[in-house]
Amino acid sequence: MKKLSLLALLLMATSLLFLSPISAQETITLKGKELFGDMRARQIGPALMSGRISDLEAHPNNPRIIYAGTAGGGVWKSNNGGASFQPIFDDYIQSIGTVTVDPHDPDNTVYVGTGETWTRNSVSLGDGVYKTSDGGQNWKKLPLDGSERVSDIIVHPKNKDVLFVGELGALWGDSETRGVYKSEDGGQTWDNIFYIDQKTGCAELIMDPNDPNILYASMWEFRRTAWSFNSGGSKSGLFKSVDGGKNWKELRNGFPSGKLGRIAVAVAPSDGNILYAVIESEKTENNGLYRSDDAGNSWKRLNGDFGLVVRPFYFSRIVVDPKNPDVLVKAGLFGSISRDGGKTFKDPGNMHADIHDILFDINDSDRMYFATDGGVYRTWDGGSTLDIVSNIPVSQFYHLALDNEEPYNIYGGLQDNGSWYGPSHSPGGIEARDWNRVGYGDGFRVLRHSSKPIIYSEMQGAENVWRYDIERNQQKTIQPLPVKGDPKLRYNWNAPISLSPSKPDRIYIGSQFVHMSEDMGNTWKKISKDLTTNDKKKQDQENSGGLSKDNSGAENHCTVFTITESSLDENIVWAGTDDGNVQVTKNGGKKWSNVTKNIKGLPANTWCYHIEASVHDKGTAYAVFDGHTKNDKNPYCFKTTDFGKTWTSITTNDIKGFTRSIQEDFVNPDLLFLGTETGLYITINGGTSWSKFTNNMPSTAVHHLEMHPQTNDVVMATHGRGIIILDDISPLRELTNEILSKDVHFFNSEPFTLIEESGFGGSSTELQFVGPNRNRNAKIMYYLKKRHIFGKMKIDLYDQQGNHVKELSASKAKGINIVNWDYFTTTPKMAKGKTFTFGGFTAPRIQAGTYKVVMTKGKEKYETELVIKYDETSLVSADERKQHHEVTQKLFNMSEDLAYQVYQMDEMISGVNHLMGSLSSTEKEGNELLKKLNTLKESSVITTGDNYVGAAEPQLREKLAALYSKVASGFVPPSTSELENLALIEERFNKGKKELEALNKGPWAKLKDVGAIAGVTFPKVLSKTDFLKKS
Amino acid sequence: MIKSIKSTFLFLFVSLFALSLNAQSADEILDAYYEATGGRDAWNKVENMKYTAKVNQGGMEIPIEMVECKDGRSYTKVSFQGLNILQDVYDGKDLWNTNFQTMKAEKATSEDLSNHNLTIGDFPDPLLNYKKRGYKLELLGKESFDGTDAFKLKLTKKPMTVDGKEVEDTEYYYFEAESFVLLGQEMEVKSGPMKGLIQQITFSEYQEVDGLYVAFAMTQGEKGGQSQPIMIEKVELNVELDESIMAFPEEAPVEAPADKK
Repeated sequence: MKKLSLLALLLMATSLLFLSPISAQETITLKGKELFGDMRARQIGPALMSGRISDLEAHPNNPRIIYAGTAGGGVWKSNNGGASFQPIFDDYIQSIGTVTVDPHDPDNTVYVGTGETWTRNSVSLGDGVYKTSDGGQNWKKLPLDGSERVSDIIVHPKNKDVLFVGELGALWGDSETRGVYKSEDGGQTWDNIFYIDQKTGCAELIMDPNDPNILYASMWEFRRTAWSFNSGGSKSGLFKSVDGGKNWKELRNGFPSGKLGRIAVAVAPSDGNILYAVIESEKTENNGLYRSDDAGNSWKRLNGDFGLVVRPFYFSRIVVDPKNPDVLVKAGLFGSISRDGGKTFKDPGNMHADIHDILFDINDSDRMYFATDGGVYRTWDGGSTLDIVSNIPVSQFYHLALDNEEPYNIYGGLQDNGSWYGPSHSPGGIEARDWNRVGYGDGFRVLRHSSKPIIYSEMQGAENVWRYDIERNQQKTIQPLPVKGDPKLRYNWNAPISLSPSKPDRIYIGSQFVHMSEDMGNTWKKISKDLTTNDKKKQDQENSGGLSKDNSGAENHCTVFTITESSLDENIVWAGTDDGNVQVTKNGGKKWSNVTKNIKGLPANTWCYHIEASVHDKGTAYAVFDGHTKNDKNPYCFKTTDFGKTWTSITTNDIKGFTRSIQEDFVNPDLLFLGTETGLYITINGGTSWSKFTNNMPSTAVHHLEMHPQTNDVVMATHGRGIIILDDISPLRELTNEILSKDVHFFNSEPFTLIEESGFGGSSTELQFVGPNRNRNAKIMYYLKKRHIFGKMKIDLYDQQGNHVKELSASKAKGINIVNWDYFTTTPKMAKGKTFTFGGFTAPRIQAGTYKVVMTKGKEKYETELVIKYDETSLVSADERKQHHEVTQKLFNMSEDLAYQVYQMDEMISGVNHLMGSLSSTEKEGNELLKKLNTLKESSVITTGDNYVGAAEPQLREKLAALYSKVASGFVPPSTSELENLALIEERFNKGKKELEALNKGPWAKLKDVGAIAGVTFPKVLSKTDFLKKS
Repeated sequence: MIKSIKSTFLFLFVSLFALSLNAQSADEILDAYYEATGGRDAWNKVENMKYTAKVNQGGMEIPIEMVECKDGRSYTKVSFQGLNILQDVYDGKDLWNTNFQTMKAEKATSEDLSNHNLTIGDFPDPLLNYKKRGYKLELLGKESFDGTDAFKLKLTKKPMTVDGKEVEDTEYYYFEAESFVLLGQEMEVKSGPMKGLIQQITFSEYQEVDGLYVAFAMTQGEKGGQSQPIMIEKVELNVELDESIMAFPEEAPVEAPADKK
């Protein structure tokens, strides 16, 4: 039997031997975490302006638990009554329509309907319904195929397996996945129980609080295109079922005739007969709030205030106080509260505009939560005063830019939250106070002049393009204005602005033309003809909106959307338009070539979202297209190497969701980063295969991304989770098939800089979001073919002389691993006292130089080198560093010397006691020696008190440690005062050392001799080397 | 002896490799895990485990000693500058910690104690005898654990009490799909400012100790965030315990400086 098992083992090992080597032809394709290993994205917010919140939900019994669904940042849960929130849905699509807590198991079971239902032009998409059975730790997608926007999920109050789903459905095209769905098996199978047509979806589904057979469905006919919006039609209406959804009847008694638009509806939780509805209709005088007191059979119009009827597609929600049917709140531009059953309304207090949902606390109606375009607000006094939740970083960036400062800054514009810039690193973390506003309204592209303190920003269709002088704190608007002979200039809502890589003062702006200025926007000239299709049918925005006119500028179309000047040749400029054109000039705009027709496989008029001119080759560029406004969710990204004559698609089936932006690596042309609706994808082989990056990277829409040339960071503008940075992507540059087939591979790295800073950190409270800083540690980066599970694995660092400097824990994941070294060696071994000496917790930093890295992995050893350099911008000189190091080392050594002296004292004290106990004749000399030893010890180290205000008077150890820490923790050489203090301490140190030597050689040697003669043995005293080794 | 155990381990590894190709149940995965690490019987015979470990923090190498007993008694001893701080000490009656400022023992809250009492019997882990303990175990499926295929199991323990409210106590375990060893564990932080975050513990560097395979390296931290490595230098089974160390003392559990007379 044993022989057989050994044989099996041998066979197994042999077969593995033949299988494991990678043949030259075999391509290794690693995906996701197995490739990216330890590389983690860094989410830096900001959260001070937060972002759009689409839905709020309460736990039915526990007022501490609240859920917030967001427009593009997933689901957030509060466990502390709304004081702070945490994300619980990062791995899934981040656009949320609704969150529903199962009343049968409210602690654990929660449903999330994805796809926001507030259908503005920039709205993201959902992909169905998800369920958690453990309070949000794990989620499962329910099989409701084709779902795009879920308006409501209702769990039957008497049967947890019966679910109703309101499906608004597709915004940009026809869809049969619309209406009301029912499941009787907990979501495993679904029946569409109420369907009207491919254009009409369920905008709201509610249930009578007392009778689960009574359902109300607000059905809405709606459609958006890239250039228009339509709300309303003959199919819109409010419907009621009294038999659990089998049959539906339209409620119309009291409502206006003709077409209807989006209808908000609510039933009072405390009285099922009272319903409220806000109606959008053909005539504005008929729009407004209607109330029914007979469960929907008849309706009476009560009020048509602006706050109630404004933008129904964006604000159709009514929430009734759970205790009082006459208190209701309507979502809106500022929100509206009625306390008289809907007769009159007033605005709640100050908060961010654009309110989408309201939540009453389950016990106290004075406590409310508001979902706004700028985060969650809470009130404790019925909506009079409001306070923002400061830790929900769901800001929605459209674009970003970086500068060359150290640390670099990030510039970008946000949906309804202006334009901002903030640092990639800040003492104590990136706080709200680190961000600076540089624009109002909806912000988009924000750019920094490469050599002057000038920022360009814009709002809403170039309504304003600001040139802001940071130093003078002066702004001027500079957008190109029409001049004689011009047609109406058509600017996209998100109008393109770009800078020249070669001419710092040059700036481009796109309308239907490309405008160029060589003097920072004072003078403009058009350098192109109309580059768009100029399709007049797509330019009737004045009549956009449907029943309620909605001409905000957001639907402006047939515009230039992206402009890029090549960094290799200033005469090469690329332009892409929202109606699908790609145009290029090679002579600074004298002649443009429309190369769109050369892109095979791209549907006509697909929005060109981004063109990336290669930094490696003049003729090479990447064009990224977004077809979702044509209801086409496929990814489109093409590469040309011949100025657009031919194009190759570089997308694969690996990519889920449509695409918006690409970033080419500055070093390895095959390394590309793709921003998609569902997150970040990376290819290391020029697009042959793509891998989704998910390490601390939510599945949020990446609208734009840039790479920083000095730090090799990829910085992403996400439309729902703020700015996310993937620090130092350089390891990805080295990944080839050959390296992927190695067991272990160390990545090359630039020398690491020891930053000589020591500030005080930040000032945020625990309820405020603080973005993590870039990790400035030295990093040992390596690739492991397989996760290390069995046997020892560690990393040792040695200096040039071969001295062991530090042992580090190894990272063991499959893929890329990163081990950090904070530049510290180890703390000195301190003398043992009654209390701690806090100065002794300081470790010295290493000096710049080359260090040998030895990885021990099982029986194998692998080696590389790590280079540390000093900060070239530091004001500390080489001589000063040398002095700092020498004094630090001297104090370190003195601390360890003292530790050994105190150990010797303790051993002698113990020895004397032992001797006196064994030999009474030694008591007199012994007690004399003990007295001297104790006196010496009491002056060497604290022997009484505690670690706080009960502390004893500091002795030599404490004074030495305090000075050591003071010097070692900084970077500058010791001051004169510190050196004088050192002299004083050293004098006392030397005195004590001499005294101990004298006692050791004198009375203690004599007593030991006496003991030895009498046969008394003493425990061995450790040598200093052994003592220092002992932990 | 050691050699023969290693051969057995490798044989089991081979057998388990075949098992991994088939559909699994939670119990099969658990059986495979215990077989791979020494056998259920051997694990059930362990009375206590003592870990000697260290953590690195800002240049400090902090020695740690952790003891866990089958009867629920436990302590963690952390040493700074030769002084010992005791944490999560349970002597069979009291649960206590050393106050860092006064160096004196202070009792944990009644709620902490009652929650701790719920875990007595979860030795060496809550999985070994989960059925007897009245826990529920489910296989959630296969999932990537930091790039390595793993089976994910959910363990539902007895409800605990947090800030006066009863809450469900669940833990998630990841077993490597090839070798069936435990790669990691996750649980939600139930109280304090980190409440709601997912805590993750990883296990690696499995080595043999008296016939059992034990992880000699751990990391503890927030899932997807920063974590603290714990390097285990020695693991001992069935050690003779100094019971006095766990008894709730009237005074500081600090080793006083040498006596003076």
